[in-house]
Amino acid sequence: MATSIRLHRMGAKKNPFYRLVVCDSATRRDGRAIEEIGYYDPTKNPHVIKIDEIKALEWLSKGAQPSDTARSLLRQAGIMEKFHKSK
Amino acid sequence: MKRIENKALLFDFYGPLLTAKQSKVWDLYYQQDFSLAEIAEEEGITRQAVHDLLKRTEKILEGYEEKLKLIARFRKDKERVKIIGASLAEISREDFADEAAWKRHLEITDRIKEIIAEVLEDNSELFQDNWD
Repeated sequence: MATSIRLHRMGAKKNPFYRLVVCDSATRRDGRAIEEIGYYDPTKNPHVIKIDEIKALEWLSKGAQPSDTARSLLRQAGIMEKFHKSK
Repeated sequence: MKRIENKALLFDFYGPLLTAKQSKVWDLYYQQDFSLAEIAEEEGITRQAVHDLLKRTEKILEGYEEKLKLIARFRKDKERVKIIGASLAEISREDFADEAAWKRHLEITDRIKEIIAEVLEDNSELFQDNWD
């Protein structure tokens, strides 16, 4: 079963806030996440990205596919680079 | 990544003006981060159709912003309100002749701060959990 890493929008209207979650493609519909591995707050200046690096690397190495946006966040946090080096 | 915030605001402000289909696909793509292929499968349309729909919806939303400029105004107001807060914080005890006047100032400050918080509606800390 495909596992993916994606962003999930939280936050109130006009105040976007995103959680970086690991979820299964089968349960993605109801938004149930297997695990939350970080968050992204674009309303702050500069933007806040917090990602649990250990968990993120663990999921990536298990083959979890990040979405384009999630990949971009992981790259900004320097996690993609570490992941590629570890391979 | 600035893009995603702009898209979120467009939808928050003008989303109710979209059709059910437009807003559903927009929600899946920008709020739930589905891929085009996943949405296509979900909706029973082609990936290309999803892409076209998203582009068209984006044009519609941007058209509203161009005419109404609610987001630009919202951002500007937010900045201004932050400046009010910062200015308020510049006043110190030394600016007041006596304790009573300082106390009164603090009371008023609290009220203004409450209003500032309401205007900013910043509740991001609610979602942060324990990541620090």
